[in-house]
Amino acid sequence: MRYLFIYYLICSNFLSANDYGWDIPNTSVNIDSYLDMTYDEKREDKFLFNDIAFLFSSRRERFDILAEVELSHISLEGKSNNSSDIDLNVERLQLNYTLNDKQSFQIGCFKSDIGYWNQAPILILQNTTTKPHTVGNFFPEATCGLLYRYNLNDENSLSFTFQDNPDISHQDGVINVERHTALAYYGANDDLSWRFSVGEYKEDNSIEADYIGIGSRYDADKFDIQAEFFVQDSEISDEKPYSAYLQPTWHFKENHDAVLRFESYKDKTLEVKENIYLLGYVYRPNSNIALKAEYVHHTKLPLNRFVYSFSVLF
Amino acid sequence: MLKYFVVLIIITSELFTLELVVVGDKNFPENNLTKQTIKAFFLDKKRFIGESKVLVMNHEHENPLRICFEKNILEKSKKSLERYWRKAYYQGKRPPKIISSNEMLFLYLQSVQPSIGYVEFNATLDKELKVLYRIGCE
Repeated sequence: MRYLFIYYLICSNFLSANDYGWDIPNTSVNIDSYLDMTYDEKREDKFLFNDIAFLFSSRRERFDILAEVELSHISLEGKSNNSSDIDLNVERLQLNYTLNDKQSFQIGCFKSDIGYWNQAPILILQNTTTKPHTVGNFFPEATCGLLYRYNLNDENSLSFTFQDNPDISHQDGVINVERHTALAYYGANDDLSWRFSVGEYKEDNSIEADYIGIGSRYDADKFDIQAEFFVQDSEISDEKPYSAYLQPTWHFKENHDAVLRFESYKDKTLEVKENIYLLGYVYRPNSNIALKAEYVHHTKLPLNRFVYSFSVLF
Repeated sequence: MLKYFVVLIIITSELFTLELVVVGDKNFPENNLTKQTIKAFFLDKKRFIGESKVLVMNHEHENPLRICFEKNILEKSKKSLERYWRKAYYQGKRPPKIISSNEMLFLYLQSVQPSIGYVEFNATLDKELKVLYRIGCE
């Protein structure tokens, strides 16, 4: 039944290539969905349906609602028959209110307005299957609280994030917090943009940390380059002093991209300081489908491997 | 003879150069817009002008006006825009409303305020609207 459903989703996508989602007639509601599956030779469950997710959005005059519900970690090797292996997460549930062309508010659970990668962290939207070490290690990827955005002009904005309550769900492998405050600046000039963020958080295990991050991105027709650098200072120890990556993508032929990624990080909890090199290839037969293959080389940890993925946006 | 031929080519090319104008309704709060602001509206980075939400209208994909607009104002290729909207959808942004003809654009400009779109300059001559930006198509 599960496979029939996925088969249906994939087929319906081929039929409606280049459209995103479904607008419910006579309403302002749009439903999108995405799914991705990965093969990672170093993972216990080599084949995984990482995510099957649905996005619901509705836009009114000043109010916007956005919800993202995700079914994740469904093994293709039978292990997820035990229902406890499948996670059902409300990834985002946010209400936006636009006061005027300068100011807006966002309340609920949303992707933290920190860094580039975190603004679109799903596989179909990225050029690699694996994430840089920076993502998920230096700041909370999600915030359940309030965000205030002030647009300095059309291309420059400031945002202030505030959370003083536990996350709505505790997830393994991410920074779960009970407090998060952050200030972020975003600026752009034509195809070049940059981000600066500074913040502090308290995890639900009482560990507190401060972080600072800078990033930049250049988007051209034939290539794009994205780079981010984060430092962190924790109250108990200097556990994650720095992490940085530089990722150029070359759109060398229509529907075909080549990706490189150079990473460097130091992690005192793992007692490792290493570089990671990635070489990848992306084929997008249409704008809604991506097939990726990449080789990841670690200079210290025994994680050198090939990773493949297939992702679809409906 | 060559001189006349060159002059004829220049005049002909001037005659056939498409001139695109970004237009707003007759009460649009601004008298002109910068290219940056127009980009921000059409990429859904900006939705309000002052306190009012702006209706932004775009032509269909293969319309020569849209091709000119994307090249000369948005300054992005089709693929580049495709990459942009893929991420933008996830962030809750939505592309402008698609209109199928100039007549439809003028009807919306008359009935919804504030609203903006773009059209060939010659089509605006007898219409009550504001020309906010003007550019020749290469």
